[in-house]
Amino acid sequence: MERAEIHDLSAAYALDALDADERRAFEQHLAHCPECRSAVASFQDAAAELAYDTEAPPPPPALRARILADAARERPNVVPLRRRRWALPVAATLAAAAAVAAIGLGIWAVDLSRQLDDERAASQSSQAAAQLLADPSARHIPLEGADGVLVVDAAGKGWLVVRGLEEAPSERTYEAWVVEGDRTTAAGLFAGGGAPTVVALDEPVPAGALVAVTVEQEGGVEQSTQEPVFVTGEPA
Amino acid sequence: MARKLAHLSDEALVALVARADEDALAELYDRFGRAAYGLALRIVRDPALAEDAVQEGFLAVWRSSARFVAGRAKASTWILTLIHRRAVDLVRREEPRRAEPLEAAPQAAGTDTEDEAWLRLRRARVQEALRKLPDKQREALELAYFGGFTQSELADRLGEPLGTIKSRMFAGLATLRELLAEDGLEKEQWKEPRSTT
Repeated sequence: MERAEIHDLSAAYALDALDADERRAFEQHLAHCPECRSAVASFQDAAAELAYDTEAPPPPPALRARILADAARERPNVVPLRRRRWALPVAATLAAAAAVAAIGLGIWAVDLSRQLDDERAASQSSQAAAQLLADPSARHIPLEGADGVLVVDAAGKGWLVVRGLEEAPSERTYEAWVVEGDRTTAAGLFAGGGAPTVVALDEPVPAGALVAVTVEQEGGVEQSTQEPVFVTGEPA
Repeated sequence: MARKLAHLSDEALVALVARADEDALAELYDRFGRAAYGLALRIVRDPALAEDAVQEGFLAVWRSSARFVAGRAKASTWILTLIHRRAVDLVRREEPRRAEPLEAAPQAAGTDTEDEAWLRLRRARVQEALRKLPDKQREALELAYFGGFTQSELADRLGEPLGTIKSRMFAGLATLRELLAEDGLEKEQWKEPRSTT
């Protein structure tokens, strides 16, 4: 393969559209070419989004069990450690570090009945949100500062669908706000976390309003003095 | 079932997997197993083969997690790339390969979970971006990514010079990247909020 051409292969590589020989040659090239490495990384992010353009039934439950059993059988070549939360490589963010500290202090333990109530509420909320996401008249407004959207139905009921948020630090909570002109109304509390979260807002989201989320003390506040962690990217 | 590691980021989970933490692997599977299976099934078009691709892909995650460098790539990209590679390798070994890429799979029975809602959202988003691409670029991306065709096979199949195919894939993926960056998902993780008081 000609030297000049090889730079053009970063997209084909990210799409896995090279044959075995081309792939090998390009990977050798990658080892010496930071420019191509960075092109490949961003192309792979875009290609991985294509992975979501599928609609298949869930995989059979036995697959999960099989993968975990295989993994347990062939432990990788590392020293197996008991999980020690404080040893987590949370270079990630301060909030993650705070969450880890919270676990260490045992603040983690939640009253069981409250947890069950939460789960019940979460399940209702996610069912409603799933219906809403299938509703063509609902609007999707991207978030700035977090991975997710605000979904607003025709009646102005709003839902935050967000993923990959750091867990709120100990004794703190995420609080959502509906911001309409200079009026800011508290619209619900939630805990965050890496898994997808659906938050049904307690307050309607009128046309033109923004939704913002802050981190507040446990229990929430009536008025916030915090900078938002994330906001909607455009008015509802 | 409560997911006890649900509060951790994808990247933190991969770091735990690198320490042979099986619960972390289970949580990654719970997050990405469904997308992985959907992807593999669209490529290999056979449920048993798709399961093989997902299984091999997650075992590759298990084996090579120590080499994953957070900050250089997103864990979600890394995992789906491993699954994709396995599925493409499997379908290329299957001969004769079925000529036509699978069209939209039948509607899945709705299991209304937050993950389901999330997957739907992601799907709507990428479909909207794909619709904005010129037809020929979209065709090249879809045949390469979901059809498992190499660039040379694509050139033969579409009766175009190899250089044309390469440019279409390059331009198509570059535009897709921009469109996806524009619409707000996949922004950087939030920064520590500053108090204004």
